[in-house]
Amino acid sequence: MKFLAIVQLTFRESLAKKTFIAFLAISTFICLLFIFALNLDIVDGAKSSIRLFGLQAPELVELNKLIVGVEAGVAILLFTGGIFMSLFATSNLIPSLLQPGFIDLFISKPVSRVEIIAGRFIGALAIVAFNIFYLMVFTFLIMSLKTGIWNWGFLLAGLMIIITFATLFALMTLLGVVSRSGPFSLMLTYLILFFSPLLLQRDQIYALLDARIYSYILDGLYYILPKTAELGKLTEELVRGVEITNWMPLWSGILFGIFTLLFSAYIFEQKDF
Amino acid sequence: MLAIETNGLTKYYSRGKIKALQDFSLQVESGKIFSLLGPNGAGKTTLIKALLGIIQPTRGSAALLGVSFQDHKVHKKIGYLAENHRFPDFLTASQILYYYGRMSGISGTELTQRIPQLLKKVKLQDWMHTKIRKYSKGMMQRMGLAHAMINNPELLFLDEPTDGIDPVGRREIRDLLKDLRNEGKTIFLNSHLLSEVERISDEIAIMKQGALLQKGPLDNFLSVKQQYQLQLSGDRARIDQVFAALNIPPDFKTDLFNIKVRDYHELNRLIDTLRQQSVDILAVTPKKVSLEDFFIEVLDEKEGQSS
Repeated sequence: MKFLAIVQLTFRESLAKKTFIAFLAISTFICLLFIFALNLDIVDGAKSSIRLFGLQAPELVELNKLIVGVEAGVAILLFTGGIFMSLFATSNLIPSLLQPGFIDLFISKPVSRVEIIAGRFIGALAIVAFNIFYLMVFTFLIMSLKTGIWNWGFLLAGLMIIITFATLFALMTLLGVVSRSGPFSLMLTYLILFFSPLLLQRDQIYALLDARIYSYILDGLYYILPKTAELGKLTEELVRGVEITNWMPLWSGILFGIFTLLFSAYIFEQKDF
Repeated sequence: MLAIETNGLTKYYSRGKIKALQDFSLQVESGKIFSLLGPNGAGKTTLIKALLGIIQPTRGSAALLGVSFQDHKVHKKIGYLAENHRFPDFLTASQILYYYGRMSGISGTELTQRIPQLLKKVKLQDWMHTKIRKYSKGMMQRMGLAHAMINNPELLFLDEPTDGIDPVGRREIRDLLKDLRNEGKTIFLNSHLLSEVERISDEIAIMKQGALLQKGPLDNFLSVKQQYQLQLSGDRARIDQVFAALNIPPDFKTDLFNIKVRDYHELNRLIDTLRQQSVDILAVTPKKVSLEDFFIEVLDEKEGQSS
């Protein structure tokens, strides 16, 4: 109950931020677009034509491919834009918690410091999950009800987006606890987010570097840091129903998140306010 | 029973360069209003923060209500008003009390009953559904007080509770604190307003540079032994004769006679003689020094010792 109160307060605090309201407004707009833009003509129980944004889809395009394509587009949009916006909107949640006069009120309650930081983390995760699933579930329902094609992989992609956000937010939590600065932790997290595709191309970078040590460093960074580029690819593959053979980016990301969060809690335990 | 007990509580900053608390040992009995006084930077807030786990002491131990201060579960019975408290300003008073009440482990049903009562107690009942960003400083302080009492605590730590509050409000808070003491609660007060402290405290402690200088019942410090103030009415020549006959030289100031006697027998002899001489005695009051005077005296004494 006490822990839940911290989660609720964090959720409420995030909801008061204009970024999340903008996020919700954009999501609602996209949902409305799908409601009105996707039109199907049914003749004798079969789809005779598909219209998207008033344009007739080419006859060769199968309905299934079209729907999966649209859903993949939404998933990729959420993976990039959604995570980017969510990180921005939550960047100040940890530093604001640590403000003098605010943190005192939490610590003076019968809750442990681990519960406080975990409550804050789960609260942030809850608001982002709410936003992501708001768009995904409604898009899924609109698409599926209109076409009869129920692509469950699309919802799984939502889960993948949340996990990726959680991994990056764990890093932002650690940076926030250490630096108590929202902009600083956000900038470093963005750096990791955009550094990931570069690390994926590390074989080509090795060719440009003479010393062997650089390859060890880049390999180390690749295996330690969240592999956002590959997680994005996994998200798309889940929507498209492609068989996934390598889950390493997912489990290594989860491990990174858990370790980073535990380390944040350890540092938070030692801090004076 | 002891509400607070500290043993050698010490807090150093910057690798020992700043000594915020030095071997601080203190005992506070339950059911009293205890005030901690000291100049700015004396370590008063540091002590409260160390006791509540907001900062980690360098060494030493403490117990709150008989439980180790490091056990956060004891906070269930503790209320705290921070000096510069900061509540989420997008919430209303009742929402804030709801969330922090839940964090204290109180059920939602209990809170729906307690919140309006508490806001009435601090005179915020008409503002309970207004976002606190619209509150004045005094209202925020009342809000902080309501927050500190949300869990019906046995021990209350109040850091400058009357800061920013007008005289009428200060009086109301004073009355509220007295009521809480009468209910058996212990109140640990940090305040710069010595006149406020003087009016409500049972015990005080004075600290400077992280060290305890004095501690004891307020009356013991403020009453001056064998010194009284007499308010008399009658022939001045006769009055002077009585004082001269008993060899008690009075210090006369604005119709009050300040006297020093050896014991209460001598005081009674003086009263009898004055009455025999048909002098009317309007008042006999034990002489007291103000807390401010005492406070300055203790600090000066310490200054003298250290220099």
